[in-house]
Amino acid sequence: MVEVNNFRMAFDGKVVVRDLSFEVRKGEIFGLLGANGSGKTTTVRALLGLYQASGGELLVDGQKYNPESGKVTVGYLPEERGLYRKESVIDTMVYFGELKGVKDPLKWSQKYLKRVGLEDKAKEKVEKLSGGQQQKIQLGITIMNGPKLLILDEPTKGFDPMNRKLLMEIIEELHAKGTSIIMITHYMDEVERLCDRALLLKDGVARAYGTIDEIRREFGGKSLDEIFVEVYGEDYEQ
Amino acid sequence: MSSSVLKVAKFEIVRQLKKPSFWAATLLIPLLIGVIYLISFISAESVETEPTFDENTKIAITDEAGVLSGAVPYVVDVDKEEGVQMVKDGEVDLYYYIPADFAESKKAEFYHISEGLEIFNNDGQILKMILLSDASSRVDELDALVLTGGYEIVDNKLARDGEDANALGKAIVPCFIGIVFFMFVALCGNRFLLTVVEEKENRISEMILTSISSRHLIVGKIIALLVLGLVQILVLVVPVLILVFCNRDNAMLAPILGMIEVEPLSICLSLVLFVASAVFYAGVCVFVGSLVSTARDASSFIGPAIIAMVFPLYFMQMFMATEPNLIVQFLTYFPMSAPIGLMLRNAFGTISVPEFLAGIMIVVVCAVIAIRLAVRAFQKNAINFNIATPKFARRKKT
Repeated sequence: MVEVNNFRMAFDGKVVVRDLSFEVRKGEIFGLLGANGSGKTTTVRALLGLYQASGGELLVDGQKYNPESGKVTVGYLPEERGLYRKESVIDTMVYFGELKGVKDPLKWSQKYLKRVGLEDKAKEKVEKLSGGQQQKIQLGITIMNGPKLLILDEPTKGFDPMNRKLLMEIIEELHAKGTSIIMITHYMDEVERLCDRALLLKDGVARAYGTIDEIRREFGGKSLDEIFVEVYGEDYEQ
Repeated sequence: MSSSVLKVAKFEIVRQLKKPSFWAATLLIPLLIGVIYLISFISAESVETEPTFDENTKIAITDEAGVLSGAVPYVVDVDKEEGVQMVKDGEVDLYYYIPADFAESKKAEFYHISEGLEIFNNDGQILKMILLSDASSRVDELDALVLTGGYEIVDNKLARDGEDANALGKAIVPCFIGIVFFMFVALCGNRFLLTVVEEKENRISEMILTSISSRHLIVGKIIALLVLGLVQILVLVVPVLILVFCNRDNAMLAPILGMIEVEPLSICLSLVLFVASAVFYAGVCVFVGSLVSTARDASSFIGPAIIAMVFPLYFMQMFMATEPNLIVQFLTYFPMSAPIGLMLRNAFGTISVPEFLAGIMIVVVCAVIAIRLAVRAFQKNAINFNIATPKFARRKKT
């Protein structure tokens, strides 16, 4: 589903990702791990065409990602996320649905709002919603086109336990339907529980890559938390 | 045109039209014009420009100079003191005193009871009307016409080659188009600048740009901005045109309206230039908006943007000259000043059609470049959420 070959990224001459190669297979949940500044979000942004790579190739389903090609549907929940604050919930969802090519965005949105208990908020302005309610809307927008590839950048960051549970349900549902999922997270327990394979980045370089078991074996059977601390050492404290 | 462009345009248009602030800003100027018109109308009603009096108005005139004939019924045989007393006693409403040395002093006097705070009492003019009417009755019709000035002098300008030289009449419609463009620039600039800032301020850029290309997003937004600008301009211009039409027989308006000469080619070219200039202006504003990350940063650019566009107006006199000097030539073809520069020269008839077409081409090319730059700038800066200054060439890292 995703192929990254010799990806290199530099900002103002400073290299932040170097010769990174990995693949995400169809239908798997892939953990992209690393401390802040390790190059995880940069890699995802380059994969989605938000950044132009300094070198290498990043392919989604065999080609460079183009949101309007219609060849592969991608859902992306970025780390920096927001909504049109002055618009109503339903208008916002329908707009994104139209942009994503959802057949009947109004119907889908109403169904989703009912599922997450926000049907009475459909006409409310987004700014009137609580942070947790807005997270549900963002999540809905991310998955509304039934993505073949779902990229979640620190998805549980700031989520309350209820929304975290909802997110896990959705991840499992989509996984069951064969969606490939890339999860960027700092929570190693989530990775061990959900991910099939993972990549651990430090300073833009892959330090561990493979199935969770392979990674653990490589580090002498340690847990992912312990592996993370070992790779980052004193840097992690900083 | 791509369907996603239209989806963006529709979303932007509908959400703006639903905002009370859009209509408040749009209707404010027509409302102000209406209020000013109403006030001036009421004032015109209450302030008598022509003095009038009816048979109930009691008038007395002491004519020591002997200027009036015996036919005037208001002449009384009293001196000034007695006449003033008559006013005080309420025997007459208006008392006029024409002194014996009227021919030398050229002054007559007028007495009436004050009505309090009077600013516009022009009952003194009644004496002039009486004098004029009396003098006219003593001369023949032609002399009376000459004395009263009740005739019109029709202005017929001739160009040196013998053809009509109604330059002013020909300039009215293109000037009007220029004024409308000026209003467009002044009214819409802020919205143009802020249109892409919202995505960045609300951190929607990444979600948007993984659903639609930045090119389609920017083009859709520009189309929406132009449509909204058109709505604002129509709301502003249509009532004015209706007012002009309703007052087409007005003494001040009628000669101007009668002078209007429509030159189809000139007007068509002006309209083409209007559209190209509007797109160019929108492109420039969106480009600048794409470089900054907050509405506050963007708002500081609106003043310079407007000044750059209207700069030729500061050189109006030069633009009216038949032979354009170097400054005029520069402002005609410099992209930011070209729209209004070209409109002015077209209005004053100081530019040939090929020159005008060349100017339009410059604006069109610059409009395309501005849009392409806006797309690139938005793509590059869309996810610079924390920057406070333009950062066109740099990118944020994780």
